[in-house]
Amino acid sequence: MTSDNREEFLNFIAAKAERPRHQLTDHPFVPLNDLPETTLADKTPAELFALAKENSEAEHVTFKTAATADLPSVLDQMITDKTAQSLLLPTDERIAAYGLTDWAAQVAPRPTYWDPAGSRTENIQRAQDADLAIGCVEFLCAESGTITVATTPGQGRSFHFLPKHYVALVPQSRIVPRSRQAMDWYDTELKAGRLHTSNINFITGPSNSGDIEMVLVVGVHGPIDMTYVVLTDK
Amino acid sequence: MEKRGGHVYFAKKDTDAVNYITNLAKEKHVQRVVKSKSMVTTEIDLDKQLLKLPGMKLMETDLAEFILQSDNWDEPTHIVFPTLHKNRDQIRGVFEKLGYTGDNDPTRMARFAREYLRGYFLQADMGITGCNFAIADSGLINLVTNEGNADLTMAIPKTQVVVMGMERLVPSLKEAEVLDNMLSRSAVGQKLTSYCSFSGEQVAGESDGPEDLHVVILDNGRSNALGTPFESVLQCIRCGACLNVCPIYRHIGGHGYGSIYPGPIGAVLSPVLDGYEKFGDLPFASSLCGACTETCPVKIPLHRLLIKHREVMMDKLKTDKAFNKAIMKGIGMGTAHSDLFQMALQFDHSATLPFVSKKPTTVDNLYNHQGHITHAPSMAKGWTDVRDAPRPPKHTENFRRWFKDHEAQKGASNDDQ
Ligand code: SF4
Repeated sequence: MTSDNREEFLNFIAAKAERPRHQLTDHPFVPLNDLPETTLADKTPAELFALAKENSEAEHVTFKTAATADLPSVLDQMITDKTAQSLLLPTDERIAAYGLTDWAAQVAPRPTYWDPAGSRTENIQRAQDADLAIGCVEFLCAESGTITVATTPGQGRSFHFLPKHYVALVPQSRIVPRSRQAMDWYDTELKAGRLHTSNINFITGPSNSGDIEMVLVVGVHGPIDMTYVVLTDK
Repeated sequence: MEKRGGHVYFAKKDTDAVNYITNLAKEKHVQRVVKSKSMVTTEIDLDKQLLKLPGMKLMETDLAEFILQSDNWDEPTHIVFPTLHKNRDQIRGVFEKLGYTGDNDPTRMARFAREYLRGYFLQADMGITGCNFAIADSGLINLVTNEGNADLTMAIPKTQVVVMGMERLVPSLKEAEVLDNMLSRSAVGQKLTSYCSFSGEQVAGESDGPEDLHVVILDNGRSNALGTPFESVLQCIRCGACLNVCPIYRHIGGHGYGSIYPGPIGAVLSPVLDGYEKFGDLPFASSLCGACTETCPVKIPLHRLLIKHREVMMDKLKTDKAFNKAIMKGIGMGTAHSDLFQMALQFDHSATLPFVSKKPTTVDNLYNHQGHITHAPSMAKGWTDVRDAPRPPKHTENFRRWFKDHEAQKGASNDDQ
């Protein structure tokens, strides 16, 4: 089943609109202003860090910092705090880059991994069973307290949604002013063919809803709480 | 989209879209569908059609939509908060039928829904979502939710269907990013909504996400707006801000509009989609205060479009121009020539006789000239449809005659002094 009616549909619309059919490349959009790019763009890294902390906490995020050397103990503490019985990690080279290889080999509970060779059901079930997931993300946007992450074979979509508690690891050098800068990066990487992904998530704090009497409930379908750990020396 | 391996179907009418999706479900032997909130699937009444398939189970997974579904498919009242009309006790009542035993605390009730729906998600074989924006250059679908249900709907089932209004297109990821920011701020006052996702069909190596993705692009009356003054209504990003500021909406609530798109946007959009016959009243349900226009993030001149709707309706539907023009011309002539005017005054009383009500009068005017008119012809019908018109007085009793006599009397009494 494909769109055999495409031409008819598009011609009809063009006729109704009394405009000829056209291609986007012939008529690129010209933005009216550069606010998306320039807002907060003049902030220093220290100012961006402070903003990121403030805005993340406003979104009910637990905001922590750690140097690479301290990261294992910060994560251990978190496992204890959340009384996590099961732990999910990505198959991702950043785990090694953050100096977590040894830690992952001996941590209790023994971690399960999102496995690039695993089946759909296996990986989804692991995420569903996980009390705590520790993910590696690309950016933290200071203005909104948003983390951004593209799906990879070693860190699937459900990785960020099914576990009960969720921790995101992000290098301090990857704090950007706004979602715009993050989006620019994805756009460029996708178009250059360097990024192969079917999904990019911009996640701002734990899932929530105001559907019952507009009272904010934190923790609906996605994780019920969320922690960002900023790696101060990365 | 197709380059990424997805299928695109163009649906002219709601039934085309529904048929395509139900056929797909049949073909794939789908038994369990999960849906994330989408106005457009409500617009085409997809749920009920899908549920007609034998053995089909379907679950709305947005908390509010889930509550509505569990309450025997109650209608939504707000674009962003569909269950605005229910309080926590009513919701508890709905959940109790599903086995909930706790109190009316929103957090506990939401946790109950989380557990309840999780089970469904894990068994689902088809996911249906709407679409906030479709990105032209990369073929990705942008969805914005607070609960994360849309992401689960896109991650877990093997087949995903996206239903999108044909106006949801943006050129690239950058524009989607700008609009997501705008939508979040206008809809819920957040800087960015919890989950903004940009996704397509699974790529090699990934283990979750749709293996088969179908995008249904829907017209269903949207093209009626093209090339007309109403075209800008297609810019709407469904943020709901115009509802929140509208004094009419705040008084009558969402159900009063009789359309799934309530508030100012509904009053402008519904007649475009479904015609004046059905929704012609809506453009009049406005105080024209203009608060909607002021708040709209995408600058749709909502209240001006409401006036335009009234204009178009009056022009097209109510007045038969040629005939009325002739009559107006006649009246113009009659009132411009004194001889003709005098003649009219002579005969108006007797000429109106055929239109005078035969029924006995219950209440009389102070000045009554033998009856009143209940069914006037032609242009005057507009008046007598809703109220009676007094019959013109006899020539001998009319104002001019009275004034003349009065002047004469006054002159006489002045002379006396
Ligand atoms: S008309 Fe404007 S204010 Fe109303 S829902 Fe659409 S975008 Fe929002």
